[in-house]
Amino acid sequence: MIKNKKFIMILSAIMVFALVLSACGTKPAEEGEPTGDKAVKDTLVIAQGADAKSLDPHATNDQPSSRVSKQIYNTLVESTVDMELVPGLAESWNQVDETTWEFNIRKGVKFHNGEELKASDVKFSIDRMLASKKVAHIVEAIDSVEVIDDYKVIIKTKEPFGPLLAHLSHTATSIVNEKAVTEAGENYGQNPVGTGPFKFVSWEAGDKITLERFDDYYKGPANVKTVVFRNITEGTNRTIGLETGELDIAYEIEPIDKDRVANHEKLQLIEGPSLSMAYIGMNNQKEPFNNEKVRKAINYAINVDDIITAVLNGAGQKANSPIGPRVFAHNDALKPYEYDPAKAKELLKEAGYENGFQTTIWTNDNPVRMQIAQIVQAQLKEIGIDVAIEPLEWGSYLERTAKGEHDMFILGWVTVTADPDYGLYALYHSSQHGGAGNRNFYTNEEVDKLLEEGRTAIDPEKRTEAYKKAQEIIVNDAPDVLLYYGTQNVGAQKSVKGFELHPAGHHSVYGVSFE
Amino acid sequence: MTSNVAKGTMTVEKKKNKKRSQWAEVWRRLKKNKMAMLGLAILTILVLTAIFADFIADYDNVVIKQDLVNKLQGPSAEHPFGTDEFGRDIFARMIHGARVSLRVGILAVGISIIIGGTLGAIAGYYGGKLDNVIMRVMDIFLAIPSILLAIAIVSALGPSLMNLMIAIGISSVPSYARIVRSSVLSIRDQEFIEAAKAIGANDLRIILKHIIPNALAPVIVQGTLGVAGAILSTAGLSFIGLGIQPPAPEWGAMLATGRPYLRYAWHVTTFPGLAIMITILALNLVGDGLRDALDPRLKQ
Repeated sequence: MIKNKKFIMILSAIMVFALVLSACGTKPAEEGEPTGDKAVKDTLVIAQGADAKSLDPHATNDQPSSRVSKQIYNTLVESTVDMELVPGLAESWNQVDETTWEFNIRKGVKFHNGEELKASDVKFSIDRMLASKKVAHIVEAIDSVEVIDDYKVIIKTKEPFGPLLAHLSHTATSIVNEKAVTEAGENYGQNPVGTGPFKFVSWEAGDKITLERFDDYYKGPANVKTVVFRNITEGTNRTIGLETGELDIAYEIEPIDKDRVANHEKLQLIEGPSLSMAYIGMNNQKEPFNNEKVRKAINYAINVDDIITAVLNGAGQKANSPIGPRVFAHNDALKPYEYDPAKAKELLKEAGYENGFQTTIWTNDNPVRMQIAQIVQAQLKEIGIDVAIEPLEWGSYLERTAKGEHDMFILGWVTVTADPDYGLYALYHSSQHGGAGNRNFYTNEEVDKLLEEGRTAIDPEKRTEAYKKAQEIIVNDAPDVLLYYGTQNVGAQKSVKGFELHPAGHHSVYGVSFE
Repeated sequence: MTSNVAKGTMTVEKKKNKKRSQWAEVWRRLKKNKMAMLGLAILTILVLTAIFADFIADYDNVVIKQDLVNKLQGPSAEHPFGTDEFGRDIFARMIHGARVSLRVGILAVGISIIIGGTLGAIAGYYGGKLDNVIMRVMDIFLAIPSILLAIAIVSALGPSLMNLMIAIGISSVPSYARIVRSSVLSIRDQEFIEAAKAIGANDLRIILKHIIPNALAPVIVQGTLGVAGAILSTAGLSFIGLGIQPPAPEWGAMLATGRPYLRYAWHVTTFPGLAIMITILALNLVGDGLRDALDPRLKQ
C-alpha cells in the first residue's frame, strides 16, 4: 500500500514536471509565429561587429553606436546616400549674414515620449553637444543658439563657417528631447528618446539592441515592426548567420567571404563606396620620424597595392590624398607614392639611417589592421627597418596615441560630412594634436593657414582652392602613409528590399521591407 | 687489514650498482610500456626538429618571407602543408613553431619546478607557521584559474616570449609546491633523516642531499605532464593574441590566424592543430608511462 502511494506520488511528480517542461518548450514557438504561416516577416535582424557604446548621440562618436542612433534620432539637416544635403528636422533655412543662420523647425514632429519638437529642444541639444568632450569638435564653430519662437532658431558661428550644414547632418548632432534627457539623467545613454522612425525597447549589453516602429514618425511609419541589432564580433559568424537565415542583414562581410555571399542563392551582397580612408600614422615629433626623409622612405617602401590585393581582396582604392574622391574639393592631380624600395633605401641613407632602425607599430585587434601590420613589418624589413607589432585594446590604443606615446600606428578616418574640413582640419591642423585627430602630431603653419581659410570662406571656389593646396602640401610633407579609400559592403537576404548604403557607414533602415 | 679495505670498496661498488640499477629498473619498466615508447619516439623527433629547425627551413628567407601572390595555397610538392594568408610556407613555420613551443613548455615548467619545489620543500621540512604561511599563499594562487592568472601576468608585463614563460611558470607553481611538500612530509620523519641529523648534517644538506632526491619521482611525472599543459597554455595565450608576437611562428597563433579561412583553406588550421594535439598526446603518454614506472608500489 505504502509502496503504491509512493509510486503514484513519483508518477504524478514526473507528469507535472513534464507538463511544465513541455509548456516551456512550446511557448517561444507560439510567440515566433503569432499569425500563422502566411504572416509577413516583420522583424529585421541586423548584425554588426561591435556593440554600441551609448545611444546618447552626444556621448560618443563611434560607428557601431551611430548605426543604431541613426534609427532613433533625426538631425536638422540630412545627407542622402548621394551625400546631398536635404531638410531634416529643419524644414528650411537661410543664411542671414556670414555668421548667422536661420533655421525653421518642422511643425508637428513628435518625440517617442509624446512631446512635440520645439525650438527649445534644438537649443538644448546643440548646447549639450558643445558641452560634450566627445562631440564638441563637430559643432565647435557654433557660438550661440537663439530661440526666436517655438519653430525658429538662429545659430550664430564664431567666424564664417562654410561646412555648417554638413556638420549639422552628422549623427552626433542628433536632436534630443530636453525633458527626456533631464528625467533620465545619467542613464540617458540606455534610455534614448528621439524623433526617428524607431523607438528604443531594450538593450542587452554585448548581445543585442531591440527597436520598435514609431507609429507617429513624421514621414509616416516604417515598413518593419521590429529592428534588432545584434553584436556578432567574428566576421565568419556573421556570414554563417546569413546563410542559416538567422540574420537578415550583416554589416561588413569579411573580404574572404564576399564571393560566397554574392554567389549564394538566397543572399545578396550590397557594395558601395565609403568615405573612409585608412592610413599609417607616424609620430612626427619623435626621432626618427621627425625627419621628412625617413617618412618619405617609409612611404616608398610600403607597397599599398599589395595590401589592397592581399588583405582587402581588391576592395579598396589606393589613396592619393587624405580625403577621398567623394569628398568635396578632392585633389585628383596628386600622385601617390609608388613602391620603390631602392629609392627608400637611398632616402634612409641620406637621412643618416643607412643601417635602418628599430621601431614599433601599434594596432588594435582589428583583423584587417593586424594583417596590414604584418605586411608592413615584412616590407619595412627589406629596407632595414625592424618593426615590432604591438596590438592594443581599443580604449588604450586611442588614449595612448592621443598622448603621443607611439611610433607608428594604423587607423582610419571617416569624413562623415563629405566636407574636407571634417577630413583635414582634425587630422592635420596643429591645434588638433592628440585626441582631436592629429595623432601624427604634424605641424605646418602654411597648412594651418589654408585649413583655416577653407573653413571660414563661404565661397566654394575659394574653399576648393585652399583645400587643394593644403592636400598638396600635406602629401608632400608625408606626415603619414596614406593607404586606401575603403569600400563598404553589407550582406543581406534576397528578400530584404530597399536597403541603401550610406557612404558615411551608418545606414537608415527606415525604407527597408521584406518581399 | 687488506681484506677489510677490499670489503669497503666492495660495499661502495654495491651501492653504486644499486643506485644505477634503480634507474635502470625504471627504464626497463618504461620500455615495457609500448604507448610510452611511442610517445617518447614522437618527442624525440620533435626535439630533433626543433634543434635542427634552421637546417630544415631558413628563418629569414622561408619562415617569415611573405609571398602575397601565393597566399592560402593548398598543400603541394613545393609547400607540403600549403601556405598561410601571407603566402608563407606552413610546414616551415610549424617546424620553427616546435622550437617555440618546446622551449616555452620546458622553461616554464623549469621555472615552476624551481620556485614551487623550493617553497614546497621549505614548507614541508620546517612545518609549523612557515608551512602555514607558504601553503595558504599557494592556496590563494590555486583559487585563481591558472589561465586567468597567466593572462593577468602577461597583460601586466606585456606580451613577449620571456614574459609568456614567466606567466605560465608562475601560474603552475602551487601544484608543484603541493606535490613536493607532501612527499617531503612523508620522508621527513623517516629514520635515515634522523640519522643524518644525528651525525650533525645541517638543514640545507639534508634537504638537498637526502630529501629532494627521494621526492623527485612525483615531480618528474608532474613535470612531463606539465610541459604538455604549458604548451597548451602557450597556444591558448597566443590564440588570443597574448603570446608570441608576429612574425615569429607559434602553433596557437597559427591556429588563430587561420580561423577566418576555415571554410576556404582547411590546411591553415588543420596542421598546426594536429601538431599541438600530437605533441600533447606524446607528452601525456610519456608522463603516464613514467608514473607507472616510478611508482614505488610496483617495485620488485
